[in-house]
Amino acid sequence: MSKQIQDAYIVAAKRLPVAKKNGMFRYVRPDDMLAQAIRTVVAEVPQFDPARIGDVIVGCAMPEAEQGMNVARIGLLLAGLPVSVPGMTINRFCASGLQAVADAANQIRLGLADVMVAAGTESMTIMPQMMGNKVAMNPAVFSDENVGIAFGMGLTAENVAARWKVSREDQDAFALESHRRALAAIAAGHFKAEITPYPVREHLPDLATGEVKLREFVAENDEGPRADSSLEKLAKLKPVFHAKGSVTAGNSSQMSDGAAAVLLMSERALKETGATPLARFVGYAVAGVEPEIMGIGPIAAIPKVLAQTGVKQEELDWIELNEAFAAQSLAVIRELGLDPAKVNPLGGAIALGHPLGATGAIRTATVVHGLRRTSARYGMVTMCIGTGMGAAGVFERI
Amino acid sequence: MNNPTIKRVAVLGAGVMGAQIAAHLANARVPVVLFDLAAKDGDPDAIVKKALDSLKKLKPAPLATRNVLPYIDIANYDQHLARLGECDLVIEAIAERLDWKKELYAKIVPHLAPSAILASNTSGLSLAALSAVMPESIRPRFCGIHFFNPPRYMHLVELIAAPDTQAVLLDGLETWLTMRLGKGVVRALDTPNFIANRIGVFSMLAVMHHTEAFGLGFDEVDALTGPLIGRPKSATYRTADVVGLDTLAHVVRTMQEALPEDPWHAHFQIPLWLSMLIEKGALGQKVGAGIYRKLGKEIQVLDLKLRDYRPSGGTVAEEVAAILKNRNPAERFAQLRASQHPQARFLWAIFRDLFHYAACHLAAIADNARDVDLALRWGFGWQLGPFETWQAAGWQAIAEAISDDIAAGKAMSTAPLPAWVSDGRGGVHAPEGSWSARRQGYVPRSALPVYRRQLFPERLVGEGGADWSTAGETLFANEGVRLWRLPEVDAGIGILSVISKNHTLGSEVLDGIQAAVRTAEEKLDGLVIWHPAPFAVGANLKQVLGAIQSGQWGLLEATVEKFQRTSQALKYAQLPVVAAVEGMALGGGCEFLMHCAKRVLALESYVGLVEAGVGLIPAGGGCKEFAVRAAQWAARSATPAEVFDYLQPVFQTIAMAKVAESALEAIDYGFAQPTDTVRFNAKEILHVALKEARALADAGFVPPLPARDIPVAGRTGIASFEMMLVNMKEGAMISAHDYRVAKAAAVALCGGEVETGCRVDEEWLLTIERREFMQLLRTPETQARIAHMMETGKPLRN
Repeated sequence: MSKQIQDAYIVAAKRLPVAKKNGMFRYVRPDDMLAQAIRTVVAEVPQFDPARIGDVIVGCAMPEAEQGMNVARIGLLLAGLPVSVPGMTINRFCASGLQAVADAANQIRLGLADVMVAAGTESMTIMPQMMGNKVAMNPAVFSDENVGIAFGMGLTAENVAARWKVSREDQDAFALESHRRALAAIAAGHFKAEITPYPVREHLPDLATGEVKLREFVAENDEGPRADSSLEKLAKLKPVFHAKGSVTAGNSSQMSDGAAAVLLMSERALKETGATPLARFVGYAVAGVEPEIMGIGPIAAIPKVLAQTGVKQEELDWIELNEAFAAQSLAVIRELGLDPAKVNPLGGAIALGHPLGATGAIRTATVVHGLRRTSARYGMVTMCIGTGMGAAGVFERI
Repeated sequence: MNNPTIKRVAVLGAGVMGAQIAAHLANARVPVVLFDLAAKDGDPDAIVKKALDSLKKLKPAPLATRNVLPYIDIANYDQHLARLGECDLVIEAIAERLDWKKELYAKIVPHLAPSAILASNTSGLSLAALSAVMPESIRPRFCGIHFFNPPRYMHLVELIAAPDTQAVLLDGLETWLTMRLGKGVVRALDTPNFIANRIGVFSMLAVMHHTEAFGLGFDEVDALTGPLIGRPKSATYRTADVVGLDTLAHVVRTMQEALPEDPWHAHFQIPLWLSMLIEKGALGQKVGAGIYRKLGKEIQVLDLKLRDYRPSGGTVAEEVAAILKNRNPAERFAQLRASQHPQARFLWAIFRDLFHYAACHLAAIADNARDVDLALRWGFGWQLGPFETWQAAGWQAIAEAISDDIAAGKAMSTAPLPAWVSDGRGGVHAPEGSWSARRQGYVPRSALPVYRRQLFPERLVGEGGADWSTAGETLFANEGVRLWRLPEVDAGIGILSVISKNHTLGSEVLDGIQAAVRTAEEKLDGLVIWHPAPFAVGANLKQVLGAIQSGQWGLLEATVEKFQRTSQALKYAQLPVVAAVEGMALGGGCEFLMHCAKRVLALESYVGLVEAGVGLIPAGGGCKEFAVRAAQWAARSATPAEVFDYLQPVFQTIAMAKVAESALEAIDYGFAQPTDTVRFNAKEILHVALKEARALADAGFVPPLPARDIPVAGRTGIASFEMMLVNMKEGAMISAHDYRVAKAAAVALCGGEVETGCRVDEEWLLTIERREFMQLLRTPETQARIAHMMETGKPLRN
């Protein structure tokens, strides 16, 4: 059990709908998305003075170009927070957003702050290459056993599929289920509480008239889920990462653009502001695994956080397991014996998308609102992390 | 063509001349090994390394682009003599000491390749004496190659045969120096200081002599002996400061020692005041003080009467200025002689003694008078050499006046004029050739094939020859341009020449180019844009200002659009259009050459989009063209839609109105292409451009298609440029209007205020740049800049 002097509570958690890469947020900047998320989450508690925010911690997996330059500080200023509020950007690849929530919570738990904002933002549209604008690998990586660092994520998923014997059929079925659940959730309006619609304004050239045309629309729903998906269609897709592999574009997470923010408070701040907490932050752990099978990261992280928090696996009512790949998701579920019904009840990244560093914050919003809607108690957000890590965070509905 | 194979050159001596010769060889893509002594302590290559370092800072720049610097290999005589064996030409450029040179030759000769040429850059030592110390096997391959400082910019190279030099070797070197290095070669005889320095330094001594005799100030003399008489701005005493007073004294001392029989020998000494300056260490520009010095912002000149410096401000008397403005040289000289004004009498005196000296020495120093005149034009920057000046002024009248002055004891020497001077001739240059006092006859120009590449060579007074402006067969002409052809060269390739004053691009030029392209498309296979420098100095600002003042905004926008259509007409012409560029190609001139299918550039081309200087942006397709190219460059990268990186250097070039200071830099800046042809000899560009146009036509030229689907940097790109601008403005480095102008350039380069990555076409980009241009034109600050440029020729910072 970790020691703390006070609890950290989530009082608001909001996210933008997740867009496909080159989709509805094609021309939307990640710092603008972040500003919108921060603005919305702060507006959820209108009665408190934003100057009380101790820090804004933002996760971003590829913090460069439009999302470089300490995007946290730029985003919070664009959101209109007072200049006295600081901001920092952190990076733990796919866990960045969850790490931001944990770090923000820990500031409160240590008594160093009473109000914190955690967030994540990522535009994979603006990311020219998966490894950033300048690819510059260390030659030492290729000297001996470190070569796994150089493996693409898809290849690590192939490794996991091979070692954990996850069949192509199982992967495709898992993917299809993800789409089915996501579409059902959207139809049922289950994401309404967590999504803040985003007004998109696009300045486009009208080549016929020589004038700049303004195109405006409001993005309200996640763009990823496909109603036309089927096992037949999924089975037709060719493996992408290995000549004889099983990992396809259909059973992998989608590349996406998205952002989310979470407002956390201490008990004292709750009392002072009269804010209603959604959930209590219970604990968070990360663990390392071999880079070439990075997808099994949660197998190491989940027991670690459970041991740390004293929460039992069977007490978890809702698990947001990031579907980097169906192969690694199934390996984690099977290895730890997770209940498939409790894992990603509203669908996962294969359908909903995975905007890398934003995902942790996005799925935190999903789990805290989900726990509330279903009156469940414990929820978890967990994911595998590139170069071989896993992260898991536990939340308790209040 | 007798062009020798010179794959690698060694330059011995990394002094001012040696290092700069090496730089110019590197400019010409000739790999060089630059030698000097091994340093006594530390890095043995330190001397050459230091010399190479200083090449980067020297002004005017010896390097046509810094990219060539790595092609100069560093060597020292202790460790690397074996490398001489790799070199086809070895140029010795060490200090002017016979004993040192002999010692060096002894050291290097064993290492020379069997067929290598050995040449000395000596400025005045006897080639015969140098040759005498060599083994006989080397002597046929030894000669003098005398470059002038700065070697990149001074056109002259004197080629001097030693007693045993093979004639074929000299022909080969002349061809190579002319074509590869772009030099003007003059064959000099092996006499002290050769031709240019012999006459040029005498001229300086004559000026000094008469300065004192007429009691004139140094600044006054410089006002008289500069551009007013067709000589460089630095005139006489500023030139002495630039050369270095100690160097000048050295040259004079050489004359004193080597020319005891010269009838002017008594004048081969430097004045006392000059010795005193040297003694005090006031050696000229290199130490910040000489005959002139700079005190703060003030230029001061030495005044012998005051025995001190005073503010410089010498002027030319109105009476004398009026004489010098007379365009008739015969009248001008008659008036100078008739005037009693000391300045006029001074001018006559310096010309008289120059003519006298040149005539008396012609037979000894040069094969013919053409070599003397060209040597002074190319080595000293005189518009006319001494003989042609004399000839233009009326040969016999001047000859008589000189004789009279000799008789009256006014001339610096009593030596009589040679008999040929007074044989009733009208001069020394005639269509059949130039007078050779040695051969007592007229000598035609060199028959070396390399000179056939010069369709319109530099002509001397009296020589005649075709004038480019009336040559050939005219196909179309208006007030601004002439479309013509040279049927004897290639009847299928047209030549489009801009004929407006200073080659400014006014409405008549734009109409003319469009009409000429249409005519060429009907009648010709290819088109070359050519006229002597400048290529074009930009738009006709007078027309622009006039239209602004009368509020003709519609006309202005229509003119800008006409500019764009003209560029597009060049780019999409149905036949290849080749721009032959020499000298300044600024603003619209730069845009036009950018739109041609190919460019042939003289090395000394000064290319830039300088519109920011008058508060505008390039709007003749210049911004459009760079936006399109950025997309093309990005398309070849791993991130094909990311055009911003490719726009950054372009933006700086445009926003800061940077001018490429050579053809090679023009390629670096993207105004020209790496596939373009750079010729070091500007006289060759018409010939080469005609060949290039012919080759493109014969290869089945197909014009490009108008670019479409061009990703632009858009709003984020503009914002990223604004990040730079806001810092420069806050840092007080640019004005609010600089910001506005640069922002307009950013908008035009980034394809307007649209989303990053949007796809547009060329018409869109032209519309954006035209709109931004028009908005700037309406601002009072830009109008003030244009007016200021018109009045002063300099940019206004507002």
